[in-house]
Amino acid sequence: MAEEPGLSDQYPTASPWPLFVALGLALSEIGVFVGLFPVAVFGLILFGGSIAGILTESGYVERPWPTLLGVGVVLIVLAAAFAVWQVPVADIALSNVGTGPLLTRLVAVAAAGTVMIAMGGVASIMEQTAA
Amino acid sequence: MVAGDIVLTGLMAVLLVGVAALLTRVENWRSYTPLAGGGAVTGDEAAVINREKPAGIIRWLTTVDHKDIGLLYGVYAVIAFAVGGIMAMLIRLQLVTPAGAILGNNAYNSILTSHGITMLFLFGTPIIAAFANYFIPLLIGADDMAFPRINAIAFWLLPPAALLIWAGFFLAPVTENMIEPARTAWTMYTPLSVEQANPGVDLMLLGLHLSGVAATMGAINFIATIFTERNEEVNWANLDIFSWTILTQSALILFAFPLLGSAIVMLLLDRNLSTTFFAVEGGGPLLWQHLFWFFGHPEVYILVLPPMGLVSLILPKFSGRKLFGFKFVVYSTLAIGVLSFGVWAHHMFSTGMDPRLRASFMAVSLAIAIPSAVKTFNWITTMWNGRLRLTTPMLFCIGFVSNFIIGGVTGVFLASIPVDLILHDTYYVVGHFHYIVMGAIGFAAFAGIYYWFPIFTGRMYQRTLGKAHFWFSMVGTNITFFAMLALGYLGMPRRYATYEFDGAIAPLTQVSTFHQAATVGAVILFIGQLFFVWNIVQSWLEGPKVEDGDPWNLERDGMLDREFQWFDEQLEAEAPEKDPSLLADGGEEEQDDS
Ligand code: HEM
Ligand SMILES: [Cu+2]
Repeated sequence: MAEEPGLSDQYPTASPWPLFVALGLALSEIGVFVGLFPVAVFGLILFGGSIAGILTESGYVERPWPTLLGVGVVLIVLAAAFAVWQVPVADIALSNVGTGPLLTRLVAVAAAGTVMIAMGGVASIMEQTAA
Repeated sequence: MVAGDIVLTGLMAVLLVGVAALLTRVENWRSYTPLAGGGAVTGDEAAVINREKPAGIIRWLTTVDHKDIGLLYGVYAVIAFAVGGIMAMLIRLQLVTPAGAILGNNAYNSILTSHGITMLFLFGTPIIAAFANYFIPLLIGADDMAFPRINAIAFWLLPPAALLIWAGFFLAPVTENMIEPARTAWTMYTPLSVEQANPGVDLMLLGLHLSGVAATMGAINFIATIFTERNEEVNWANLDIFSWTILTQSALILFAFPLLGSAIVMLLLDRNLSTTFFAVEGGGPLLWQHLFWFFGHPEVYILVLPPMGLVSLILPKFSGRKLFGFKFVVYSTLAIGVLSFGVWAHHMFSTGMDPRLRASFMAVSLAIAIPSAVKTFNWITTMWNGRLRLTTPMLFCIGFVSNFIIGGVTGVFLASIPVDLILHDTYYVVGHFHYIVMGAIGFAAFAGIYYWFPIFTGRMYQRTLGKAHFWFSMVGTNITFFAMLALGYLGMPRRYATYEFDGAIAPLTQVSTFHQAATVGAVILFIGQLFFVWNIVQSWLEGPKVEDGDPWNLERDGMLDREFQWFDEQLEAEAPEKDPSLLADGGEEEQDDS
């Protein structure tokens, strides 16, 4: 450990992540079910990010970014699957976002996924080029 | 709407940036060294670390230590108990007069709903998790839970769950009653729960869902811990009784809570996305009742089995005898666990279901009384000819047995179809389950708190206050809930804010009298809880320090369990550095620190 140790390296019984995993899940549920677009997007990002963080911290994966990317992909696939299954094809249009209750929610999920893919991708590339 | 969205977006962005900034400050993401299996660090790495935990509030927000999490659960549950208790007092005050003394119908129904959900999901399940988190690892000789981080996640889901469940109360004043507290009762029966347009219901359902996720994560963790983290001296034959009940409870949670979670999601979809799971033209309103009670009946055993385990653990300690028929107590626990999934429709006898099905549910419901009675007889036989010591935890154990008998016997009557058809939806049912949820589960929780108080605080509580707490609780519980049984016989229906009926439903004078008696009992009960809070808070802050690792003198009877041995080691490890004169060969007292 050449660098400054983080909180969870210094103290064996501490981790900052669980609190944020829980908060992320709570916000995601509120956002998606109540239909609050911004809350859904940010909640999901926090949730996915904390999952990536906690898995890295506990040594299940080496770096957080691929996980973040993966969660993003899963969300987009889920949102797309629901859209194909439940929303009439004719209604799938950007101009309809904000009107159909289901479509709006799915777009929120997909938006969160996109952000996560972007963040995970950019960070991965930056890390690899820096190293 | 657009302005609202922008504000919300800004708020969320600030929150996210704040979280990210905080995390980069406290965590160095590059420093992670892989450690096997997500467990806590031990061995050589632990050697370079001088302290286990950061200081101050950060410690409590980041802890993954099972003892800290146990305390967090405990504090959370006691706060929820206070909130739920104040709601109960409001209900009782309302009902002193037939016209209702203090609340309107809507307020009454809101408070009734929140009281039930708060007590079952925010007090009952968490207080059990508090004991289990703190003491299961100690009792089975484990370093920690199998998944310490998941343990922490499970706890941190609960504060948002509580805020959501109570959200309507906070939001109604600021949204001009656009969002109100849910008024669905804790059973959330459809079609009522689909038709109430109030978004407060959605928030409450989401809160319940989160609390279910938390319970499920906890259950997985306990199962993994009890299976894999026992030290080599602990095997299935000598596993303690509390761990057995937690293991069984966790299995029940694993089957029951995900089902509740799914049913809640279906309800949310019916409410928000016009699906028809519970609509007449879809699955039908009765589907909800089946799904709910398939969860709901196991839930009552999820709540009562670990308290039974606590009593089975504590009661022998003050009887000077080992638990009578240990094996049969374990078997009856397992039997109840299995049977509890086969009785749910006894909550639906009056819905017009197929009479043959109804009879089979009656048979299984009557059968489940047998393992319950096995336990009761074993507790009584344990005390028989024992050397009883009436300490506060023991008094609460005895109160548990007494109240459980009344609660259980009234349950057997309800399980009989003809009796139930008369008593269903009356105060008799309310009396029945309160004898168990307050008289038994509540009492076992108090027994556990007093019994282990020395371990988790290092201090002793005040005995006289403890006894006052017991007697007020015992007398109050029995007055309140016995009066409810009588009200049920008189025909007083449950869930009414007022009771100015015509005499054909129920005789008004007697009904008023028993309602007033119930309120008097509730006041006594409430005063008892004031003793409790005072005792716990004051003793925690300034009670006498416990110096003996065996404060209950259990060694004498050969009943010192592993958790008190651990406590003893803990005291010994601390003692020399605090007070050098306690060293075995310390000799004379140091003069300068006197
Ligand atoms: C001895 C075994 C038991 C039997 C045979 C039994 C039987 C019953 C029956 C038949 C009902 C339905 C009454 C009605 O709505 O008409 C009922 C209600 C209830 N019981 Fe029990 N019970 C037993 C033990 C318990 C235990 C151990 C608990 C709690 C831990 C409990 C909690 C409840 C609750 C909460 C309700 C009311 C649910 C509601 O409608 O809100 N019961 N019981
Ligand atoms: Cu039941």
